[in-house]
Amino acid sequence: MGGRAPWRALAAVLVASLVLLAGCGGQGSQAPAGDQEAGGAGSSGGEQGVQTVTLRAMTIGKPTEHWRFDNLKEAVDRLNQKLEQEGANVRVQLEGTHEDRPWDEYKQRFILAAEAGKAPDIILSGHEDVAPWAAAGHIIPLDEYVKDSPVYQDVFPTLWESVTLDGKIWGIPQDTEARPLYFWKSHLKQLGWTDEQIAQLPERIEKGEFTLDDLLDLAKQLQDRGIVPEGQGFWTRPQAGVDFYMFYLAYGGAMQDPETGKLVLDKEALLKEYQFFARARELGVLKPSLLGTDWSIWHRTVTSKQVGLWVGGSWQVAEWQDQYGLSDADVQDLGYALLPAGEKGKPGVTLSHPLVYMVTKYSQHPELAARLILEATNPEFNTRHAVESNHLAIMKSQLDQPAYKENRLLGDLAYMVEYAGFVPLHEQFGNYDQAIYRGLSAVVAGQMTPEQAVDTVVQQLQSQLRDEVIIR
Amino acid sequence: MSESGAGTGAASHGRAAAVLAAARPAAPWRLGAGFLLPFALVVAVFFLIPAVLTVILSLTDVSVVTGLRDFRWVGLENYRRILTDPVAGLVLRNTLLYVGATLTLFNVGLALVLALATAFLPQRWGGFFRAVWLLPRITPSVVYVLMWKYFAAEPPYGVINQVLAALGLPAGGNWLYEHPWPMVIAINGFVGASMGMIIFSAAIQAIPREQLIAAQVDGAGTWALVRRVVLPQLRWPALFVAAYQTLSLLASYEYILLATDGGPGFYTTEVWALYAFHTALSNYFGNAQYGLGAALATVLVVIGLVASLLYLRFFNFRQLTQRPRIEVS
Repeated sequence: MGGRAPWRALAAVLVASLVLLAGCGGQGSQAPAGDQEAGGAGSSGGEQGVQTVTLRAMTIGKPTEHWRFDNLKEAVDRLNQKLEQEGANVRVQLEGTHEDRPWDEYKQRFILAAEAGKAPDIILSGHEDVAPWAAAGHIIPLDEYVKDSPVYQDVFPTLWESVTLDGKIWGIPQDTEARPLYFWKSHLKQLGWTDEQIAQLPERIEKGEFTLDDLLDLAKQLQDRGIVPEGQGFWTRPQAGVDFYMFYLAYGGAMQDPETGKLVLDKEALLKEYQFFARARELGVLKPSLLGTDWSIWHRTVTSKQVGLWVGGSWQVAEWQDQYGLSDADVQDLGYALLPAGEKGKPGVTLSHPLVYMVTKYSQHPELAARLILEATNPEFNTRHAVESNHLAIMKSQLDQPAYKENRLLGDLAYMVEYAGFVPLHEQFGNYDQAIYRGLSAVVAGQMTPEQAVDTVVQQLQSQLRDEVIIR
Repeated sequence: MSESGAGTGAASHGRAAAVLAAARPAAPWRLGAGFLLPFALVVAVFFLIPAVLTVILSLTDVSVVTGLRDFRWVGLENYRRILTDPVAGLVLRNTLLYVGATLTLFNVGLALVLALATAFLPQRWGGFFRAVWLLPRITPSVVYVLMWKYFAAEPPYGVINQVLAALGLPAGGNWLYEHPWPMVIAINGFVGASMGMIIFSAAIQAIPREQLIAAQVDGAGTWALVRRVVLPQLRWPALFVAAYQTLSLLASYEYILLATDGGPGFYTTEVWALYAFHTALSNYFGNAQYGLGAALATVLVVIGLVASLLYLRFFNFRQLTQRPRIEVS
């Protein structure tokens, strides 16, 4: 393109520089009272000098996931009632946004706002952000607010683990999910499977009787019989994301060293993962151009039953019903299982990626912000979100909620949590992932052999992460 | 009274002198400097200061993790990392391919073809076609790339494949993934061609009509007119377009970001500016490295400066700026 001034080369860095300048103006310094921008107390002299504090929150998600913000909104009344009972002379109100936009943009916006001292009080993001954001000092530990709350006992312990760093709790889980392997029962029937065989597939995967290689075979059969088109026997998500680590886990890979907390790259597991994708491409069940496909086209292809087996997220079922016209009959036809292990006898795997609320360091009312989140974390609210957006329960008490019990899909997926891995909490995880995902892209596109890709990834990780990564 | 009269006389005399002094031209350099001042300010604020900041930033390890409080000065560490980065060489090759191909095929090549083609049409039609070619430039980039995406999408969604199928030709997959480079170059080129087109058109219209008529009287056909009369007089505009567009192509990444985001596969269409952007401001898990990104941007600035100097030497800038033979309106 042309006709733009050459100094645009610096645009990206200029932004950072401006942030630097803006950031010099008092990191986390007290904003002038009444400055709503910085979560300042827009105090309004109410009855007997009761102050109203405006908290700000940023959440991200599809329209079906609007409760991430609206639960906070509805928790305002609950918190205010408690404050009134306590005789506190302060009341809370909430402002903020729920955005349906790409993750990298969303995170970038938060970081730039934080560096400029304009961060909200509450930010919702993936649990893996705890590490870099805690290191950068954008968020605060919440132990003093959480530990005494009944919520602490109710939320599943593994979820607390996913937000615990250096022995402190940095976030409050908002939802979690499974990432199943999906298939259409009607497709398998066309292959001549009986109802019973179809019903047993998830269990066989769980027990390790059906492996990733069997999955490729099945995908190939679906193509050879003309049930799905070439290159669409087996699909993953079309963009970067944590899903791909399931394959690494399926081949026994580890991501973090429990002793030192350093990132780990298991060369053998990564090679096996890449080899699996190379086989999928050579068999012609995974088209080389899959990675990079538009989400909307991916969803339309999947929901029109043009893909044999695919790895997706449990929340996507809600999205498909909401935006892609998936009928109830189609949902009945949908089968789901764990992702098979790489070798016989090993259990299947899935991966959970909890989203969590964090309280920023720039909040002038961290206690109120934390209490608001805790009020929004209750079985009724979280179940409403879980059922509407197909996320799994984060609290034990949710499992007794009638709405949760009635939802067949959530009931069916519940067992997967036991097999779920998490991505590691490490401040350099983003750069680790960048290298591994690009390596995978190279293999899927057929630009590198799995061996070459592994070597490249190792080289990149060593050059970028130095002693923060252990190569095995 | 008389005193006061004398007083007013002296005062008016003084005023007249002041007016005269003001009317006298100041020293020529001072006048020139006055005219240059606003421009110099713009360059300082929008180029020099950011460039200096970028260089300073490139000597640190500022990232999302360090924030702006506990970063370290790391000297040339970021530059060392670029040198040992297994991807940097590939990205540099991509950049040269992208800039070279887009420039020759579209920003200068197609621009010249369009300018010549529309120059020989009646004024009204020529203007109409030139306006049409401006559309890509004035379309918001997100919308423009989205149109291309739906153009290139796999069957049954993509327009190109629908047209091919209707013509009974074999339809491909998604053109953006099957042929990423031609698509990326075309997406940028269709925008970039319009600037050269306008400049070349203006230059062609500025050629004295007598020259063209005289050539035709001498028996020159259209091709000879173009080759012997028009092209030789486009050297200066061609230099300007080539130099300017080289720099803006080096720095441009937004269309690639929107179209392929550096993919498909392993940094296939990742150019240097996009690599800097990804490093400094965008990655999926949000751990952006401002310091390393600044180092990448600094390298790009150096490449740009070197390219400019080469152009000035190569096209003999001094000679070209001596006495314009054509006034570009």
